[in-house]
Amino acid sequence: MPLRSKVLSLAEAGRRISDGCRLAIGGFAVYQHPMALVRELVRQGRRDLTVVGSVNGNDVDLLAGAGCLRRVESSYVGLEKYGLAPNFRRRVERGELEMVDYPELLSFDRFRASQDRLTFWACDYLGGTDILTYNKDIREFACPLTGRRLHAVPPADPDITVIHAIAADERGNVVVPPRRLLPQSLDLTVARAARRVIVTAEQIVSREYIRRHARWVELPSYCVTHVVEAPWGAHPCPVLGRYGIDDAHFREYAAAGATPEAFAAYLARYVTGPADHAAYLGLIGSSHLESLREAEAQSP
Amino acid sequence: MTAPATRYETIAVALARNLADEEVGYTGLVTGGAAAIFGTSIPVVAMELARLTHAPGLTMLLAGWSHNPDLSRLDTLPESEFDARLCDLPAEAQMVAYPDGWSIRRGDISFGFSSAVQVDVAGNINSVCVGDYRRPKVRLVGPILQPEHMTLFGREYVMMPHHEHRNFVERVDFVSGVGFPGGRAGRRRLGLDGGGPAWVVTPKCIFDFDEEDGRIRVRSIHPGVTPAEVQAATGFDLGDLSRVPVTAAPTPEELDLLRHRVDPRGILLPRPA
Repeated sequence: MPLRSKVLSLAEAGRRISDGCRLAIGGFAVYQHPMALVRELVRQGRRDLTVVGSVNGNDVDLLAGAGCLRRVESSYVGLEKYGLAPNFRRRVERGELEMVDYPELLSFDRFRASQDRLTFWACDYLGGTDILTYNKDIREFACPLTGRRLHAVPPADPDITVIHAIAADERGNVVVPPRRLLPQSLDLTVARAARRVIVTAEQIVSREYIRRHARWVELPSYCVTHVVEAPWGAHPCPVLGRYGIDDAHFREYAAAGATPEAFAAYLARYVTGPADHAAYLGLIGSSHLESLREAEAQSP
Repeated sequence: MTAPATRYETIAVALARNLADEEVGYTGLVTGGAAAIFGTSIPVVAMELARLTHAPGLTMLLAGWSHNPDLSRLDTLPESEFDARLCDLPAEAQMVAYPDGWSIRRGDISFGFSSAVQVDVAGNINSVCVGDYRRPKVRLVGPILQPEHMTLFGREYVMMPHHEHRNFVERVDFVSGVGFPGGRAGRRRLGLDGGGPAWVVTPKCIFDFDEEDGRIRVRSIHPGVTPAEVQAATGFDLGDLSRVPVTAAPTPEELDLLRHRVDPRGILLPRPA
């Protein structure tokens, strides 16, 4: 019996994420989000998603602007040096999007709780914050051993996680090189927290390549449900070791978010206009993309 | 003849003198104008100056993860926390995962720097929203690491790039980082044993706290600013400011170190005019 390939097209992968589901999106702030798949969800008109995250950026903002979201659980939604997340901000201010705030470390711990199948994560430093005033999913309890007042924070428990990686094979062995930073490390925690994991990869590599780089494989195949080849799949976000941030595109994005009309035009031009990811890359242009390559980027 | 200290240099030196040897200091990477100067440049200059003078064993965590990076290799400060350039900068350690080789919860961080949109009389800070939480006038980024900065770190320096009525309010619209409501005893009642804001630093003055009653107070006013200007920019009563000292000027030795060793190419702070 032949080995089953887990490779899907972006469109097929998008259809595995259903309306109303609880979605974790890899990446951090403006770094390494699986943006090709996020754009595909907008193309497919996904609705009522809950994004459970830790530090979110243009991933959540794009989905908010396209009307795909019902609820967000996170410690941060913003565009770092490009300012506040304009669509997220507008939807929350209008009461069209439910926001549930968590402190940053606890937003990471919620995924650790899911990974270890815990029903809560214990915390001792929330007293006095308005997180307790408004986040009714967090409950107070007394430590059964010491009597100390603690708070039980619910696990992240995503239905499905999507991350973007440099390379994977068609069975779903995922390569994360050791030259990494917090966004790449947290992707692993977020992936290990879900039973269903979609990995979009810059490149699908051979099994021989995986065998030569086994120590860089941080997600073995049985932890990954589907694999999608998506070159430049995080654009306009950077991918460490491959390409830098598209500064001009981020500025255009942030400016377009200023009004619903301008953002509708952005969506029509860059997201719903292009038929697929290849058409999107054609629109961005290969010479512009090449200019983003990290100088010291090595091929996998 | 050495040019007199700029206001930013005066603030950085005041902070440097407040840092101790063998401490561990945590600062983020903030971008854009005054926010970058208060959020990143002044903290970095203060920690580097302290390392060159009375605190050689101090550890600076730039962007929260790069330990004592070699800043002399930079032509400009990186503009984002997870910049590939920062990744390859020589340093003593890089904490690039969570959890990693340190324990933030056990108290490995001595002090941190953070900023906020609002600060109130008890030193509570807010980066979540302006106005009603459910239908805010402005939805901001979220609590981020503020709850941790204000409880798990030994002490906090709240760096405010703007000092205006709307930033200094009687009561913040959302408490994302806890100050001293009810003083040190009030914090204990909330289950918080240590930590909290030490100073709130602004372009006009430095605040600290009466840890008994928990109220913010003006510790010093920067040279060239009047007490009336400080009160006029603050949305609550500061009491009698007539006996508040002027923020101490740097010594010639400190200024020389700052300009020639800490920031020889002027990539951190603007040069005196």
